[in-house]
Amino acid sequence: MDVFLQTLVAGLLIGGIYALIGIGMTLIMGVMKIINLAHGQLMMVAMYITYVLFEQFHLDPYFALLVAMPCLFVIGALLQKYLLNPLLKVDSILPENQVLMTVGIAMVLTEIIRFIFRSDYRSVKTGYSTATFYIGGISFNIAMFIAFGIAVLLTVALFFFLLKTDVGKSVRATAQNKEAALLMGINAEWITVLTYGLGSALAAAAGTLLLPIYYLFPDIGGPFTLKAFVITMLGGMGSTIGAILGGVVLGVAESLGATYISMALKDAVAMVIFLLVLIFLPGGLKTLTKI
Amino acid sequence: MKRISWPTIVVIALLVLFPLVVQSDYYRHIFILSLMWVVIGSAWNLLAGYTGQVSFGHAIFFGTGAYTAGLGVTKLGISAWWGMLLGGPVALLVGLIIGWICFRLRGPYFALATIAIGEIFRLVAIDWRSMTDGMDGILIIQSFRSKLPYYYLALALAIACVFAVYLVLRSKWGYYFVAIREDQDVAETIGISSFRYKSLSLMISSYFTGMAGAFYMNYMAFIDPHVVFSLHDISIMAILVAIIGGVGTLWGPAVGAFIMVWLQEIFRSAFFGLLPQWVSEAHVLVFGLLVIFVIRYLANGIVGDWSKITGDWFKKKQLSYSSSGN
Amino acid sequence: MEQNGVRSSTTITYRTGGANMRKLLVLLTLVLAFAVVFSTTPAWSEETVKVGIILPLTGAQAAFGEIERNSFVMAAEKVNAAGGINGKQLELLFEDDTGKPEVARSAAEKLISKDKVVMLGGGYGSSETFAIAGVAQQNGMPFLVNTGSADKITEQGWDYVFRLNPPVSAYPAALESFLTEVVKPESCAILYEDSAFGTSGSKNFAETAERLGIKVVMMEGYSKGGVDFKPLLVKVKQANPDLVYMISYVMDASLLMTQSMELRVMPKLFVGGAAGFTLPEFVKNAGNAANMVYSATLWYETLPYPGASEYYEEYVKRFNKPTEYHGAEAYAACQVIADTLKRAKSFSAEDVKTALAETDMETVFGPVKFVSYDKKINQNKLPTYLVQWIDGKLELVWPKDVASKPYVYPIDWEKVWQ
Repeated sequence: MDVFLQTLVAGLLIGGIYALIGIGMTLIMGVMKIINLAHGQLMMVAMYITYVLFEQFHLDPYFALLVAMPCLFVIGALLQKYLLNPLLKVDSILPENQVLMTVGIAMVLTEIIRFIFRSDYRSVKTGYSTATFYIGGISFNIAMFIAFGIAVLLTVALFFFLLKTDVGKSVRATAQNKEAALLMGINAEWITVLTYGLGSALAAAAGTLLLPIYYLFPDIGGPFTLKAFVITMLGGMGSTIGAILGGVVLGVAESLGATYISMALKDAVAMVIFLLVLIFLPGGLKTLTKI
Repeated sequence: MKRISWPTIVVIALLVLFPLVVQSDYYRHIFILSLMWVVIGSAWNLLAGYTGQVSFGHAIFFGTGAYTAGLGVTKLGISAWWGMLLGGPVALLVGLIIGWICFRLRGPYFALATIAIGEIFRLVAIDWRSMTDGMDGILIIQSFRSKLPYYYLALALAIACVFAVYLVLRSKWGYYFVAIREDQDVAETIGISSFRYKSLSLMISSYFTGMAGAFYMNYMAFIDPHVVFSLHDISIMAILVAIIGGVGTLWGPAVGAFIMVWLQEIFRSAFFGLLPQWVSEAHVLVFGLLVIFVIRYLANGIVGDWSKITGDWFKKKQLSYSSSGN
Repeated sequence: MEQNGVRSSTTITYRTGGANMRKLLVLLTLVLAFAVVFSTTPAWSEETVKVGIILPLTGAQAAFGEIERNSFVMAAEKVNAAGGINGKQLELLFEDDTGKPEVARSAAEKLISKDKVVMLGGGYGSSETFAIAGVAQQNGMPFLVNTGSADKITEQGWDYVFRLNPPVSAYPAALESFLTEVVKPESCAILYEDSAFGTSGSKNFAETAERLGIKVVMMEGYSKGGVDFKPLLVKVKQANPDLVYMISYVMDASLLMTQSMELRVMPKLFVGGAAGFTLPEFVKNAGNAANMVYSATLWYETLPYPGASEYYEEYVKRFNKPTEYHGAEAYAACQVIADTLKRAKSFSAEDVKTALAETDMETVFGPVKFVSYDKKINQNKLPTYLVQWIDGKLELVWPKDVASKPYVYPIDWEKVWQ
């Protein structure tokens, strides 16, 4: 029983981090209908920003959030404005050109970082990196616990932003029907720039919160990109609540898979679930909850 | 057949003569790799560029072909050359099953599904040790010391693949493929079974990719799951090869393959040692920048937009290319 | 109209409808011309002896590649300062394998057929080393492996492939005597990265355990780069073994230890199977959790090998960071290469191979002599050692007669992890 509970707790906690990674992606995919294959790499860039702030100025990663998120917002917005949006006007054979562009962006981001920081492994060690508390023999990692809390906070904030503010409503309108949104006088191009910026900033939050419990090197982005789209499809494209659900489901599924099937196959378990959802529940979990 | 004109013959003749002129095994090796990528790129291009199904999982077929050849040696005790016969059909079968699962999905969903399946294949190949020997990989001894047999085999494969794509595009299949790419729903309304023709396209594509995989096993003589089922080094490389050269053009992937393989090698070896070593670290960066540049300014790749630059009507021709057959 | 200098392109320039074809032709001809030009570039100088060294200089393993390259360079400078190879300078040509077997293969092809090296060295990852070894054997080119340690590399009957470092199966040799004499564990869990190195090592350790009468209660692989190893460690905790043996690279190693600490997994001892566990990054990242962890190792700077401590000090002085067994392997490889080439009757592959086979010398990494045993040929046999992280410093603790500090055992984890 202890094994099961500890596995479950581990899965829930890692799920919180996954959710954070997924929220940004779901926003981007919901509005732009493209897979952002540079998502993990944007997160990686944010982690390096946090790392530099920590090494040079001894800034705690939680405060670094306040720097890394705006930085990534700007980077994301610029990428959208100058690299992704222009593609809409280009007549090309494949509509997936934007997706392929994100592949190029991902490669360039990784290599620029490698040029600056080399391939060395780096880490940020804070007092709370390995701090834990125990309830009935089950251990809870504090840093992950906080990350979970922030994930929920950000989701709620984003939820209200989308629901209550004018800009948020425009984002949702663009996501639902771009042409109609244009007719209603929404500057769809600006909305996409904003969305990609926001999505990147959320990826930055994920990276910054992950850093104290993990480590850093330039190739770290790829696996997280995969996780991000799995979460997005699990939760349903564009659904912030879905992203939390998707993240937690993925975290728990991986943990249970690792414990009861095999650690080496835990990613395969995630991929199988992903495929099943894609085929049998194309709208993701949000179609079940109707949120 | 009139389009198989003498420039094609000149190209083929040049390629046939190449290893006789250049004695260096090193350059022959790079050419062999380039030709192998011509096969993979062209195969990907048939499915994605002409049928509109962007696959991020061609490593599935490449790896399946390679493992078919490799497992023939380790499990059945037959020569890896049987892989050249069996690799294609086995990959085709895998393609058929994957198509059956994935073709109900469209656009980005299809792409995502292929990534997922690719990852599943890689992870299972690593973990299923009793079958694949996991990360120990499979090692055989090359049959030939000389590069020439491999070179001509790769050349034959490349020619066969490009020619097959050419023939398909001249047939009514090609017309259906393009119709599905342009608008699947409209294609359905005029009676084209999109599932059937997407499957056909995938079958041809996976067949050739599997052959390339089997060739890789024979030539490189060593495979492991990370190498042949790699998302980055095979699946995405296949896409890059086609994009750089020109998606939806017959010769695009061929040009792209030579560019990518050479670029990689030139940078890796720091311009053959003429430039300082740090240059070698830039090869992926150059790939990335090239991809961004090509997508941004030459949306149809170097071959596809060559005509745009020279003010030709190539694009129109390109479309009629596939329909002119009947 | 363009590229007038290119022979065949001009002849078809005016053909209409063949725009793409023309492009292809121009390109191919250029490439061809390029290739011909480069293939005929003469060797720079006859006064140097060229040896090709293939290492991962970029990619995930670049950190190790750099330590090895630095060490090779240091050793080569020393050789050349002392008169080189019978008056000729030793020139090392480094090639990057980027951590991929097929690139390693390309690099080997290039060194052999284009650069005309007299022998090959390097080989970091097991898969890459294996690929290089295949090329070397086929081309009849002597290849001295210094790090790639999967057992199969010297088990193929390849007579051109020599290995300076012990195979991974020999890594826990010192641990074996430590276990039988001191710890006497009854059960063990084996965790390993599912790479060629990890798989091969775990299989061998399981056999060793069986032989010593230690019950293997758990043996599980994982893919490197995971964030959360807790599901794996929960199972370890439940199985409650006396010994946890881990074959991991550096960052997985630190996560395994920090998360063991969080979950309070407390076996009698944790032992790493070399690789990641001996690097300074391990202790930097794992902090307190690294304390008292044992690891197998192949080398330690205080070992009584000629030049070992000098090498260590010079490295630290010059590159401002510590070196470890990978660096020593590379340095020793360069010593062996220089010695071999000095003794070789000529620089033909056959003579170099013969000289290499006759090697019998002392290096910073220990004595080098290639022997055949079990299924292996051309394999150097070396003792291995056990190190322990004691309060942030890596200490040699076993065998006792060479120890730099007495081992700490038994360990009270609650106190260590406080």
